Amino acid sequence: MWAAPYPAGSGKVNVSGGTAELLVHNACVFDAFTVPNSFDPTHALGIFSAIINSMKIEWSGVTRSVPGFSDATNKFRGDFFECSATIAVSATTPKDTGHGFHFESNPATTHTNFAQFGTEHSGMFF
Amino acid sequence: MNDEKSISWKKLQEKWLTRRNLIRGAAGTAAGAGLLLGSGLRLPALADDEDEGHRDRCKAVPRPITHISTPPGAHFFFPGPVDASPTTSPNTGHDPSVITDFSGMIANADLIFSGVGTDLNTGMSASYDFHADMRFMDGVFVGLDSERHRATIGFI
Repeated sequence: MWAAPYPAGSGKVNVSGGTAELLVHNACVFDAFTVPNSFDPTHALGIFSAIINSMKIEWSGVTRSVPGFSDATNKFRGDFFECSATIAVSATTPKDTGHGFHFESNPATTHTNFAQFGTEHSGMFF
Repeated sequence: MNDEKSISWKKLQEKWLTRRNLIRGAAGTAAGAGLLLGSGLRLPALADDEDEGHRDRCKAVPRPITHISTPPGAHFFFPGPVDASPTTSPNTGHDPSVITDFSGMIANADLIFSGVGTDLNTGMSASYDFHADMRFMDGVFVGLDSERHRATIGFI
């Protein structure tokens, strides 16, 4: 599970306005180089500290609404809104790791395979 | 849609490209190949905002959803509609959150985008295509400690 805390207020959802936003600065992460190495518990290729210098994801342009959805099998319910999104991200693996690398995205190139935002209540809140 | 999109995600996974191979392969071309930012950059821990400043306390850990998508054998669904068919799309769609016992706001995005990657040791740059699954959950969760916590949790 690749989850981590973001500072309070990093993520915002405006259901009535049909938008959502995630804005993160200086998030400490790990650079595992490849997808399989990331999944490998031994990280045979190594794993190094890295930083997401900044990341901004914006959700907008609702194309499909799924209000009042409920899934008893997976124990979650909520209102969900499918839409498009754009991302601007800058990430760095410091040079002193011996694997110095920097990536700077071009937000204009973003292609949305799938995006959505909404409200959710799961588990004991289902 | 989601079976098709899941297949697209899997195709990118199957490329298994290293960053260095990508630099060599993509230099001078209009675009590199796929690399999954979300899996290449892993985060180490979970915490809740309420515990900030309490350095003598362990951070609260949310409970993952029970579903496991295999491969890779992890507690999440691939991105897709919440009302996807469990028969034809057992691992895609459904719950967008990766934590349960949660109440709040969610957003997720399965994105393909391009940018410039630079090897800081050689100064060599090349164009990259990235495929990323980004999510956040903002609200209240009951953690493994059975206590309620308020936090913004990212999935990257």
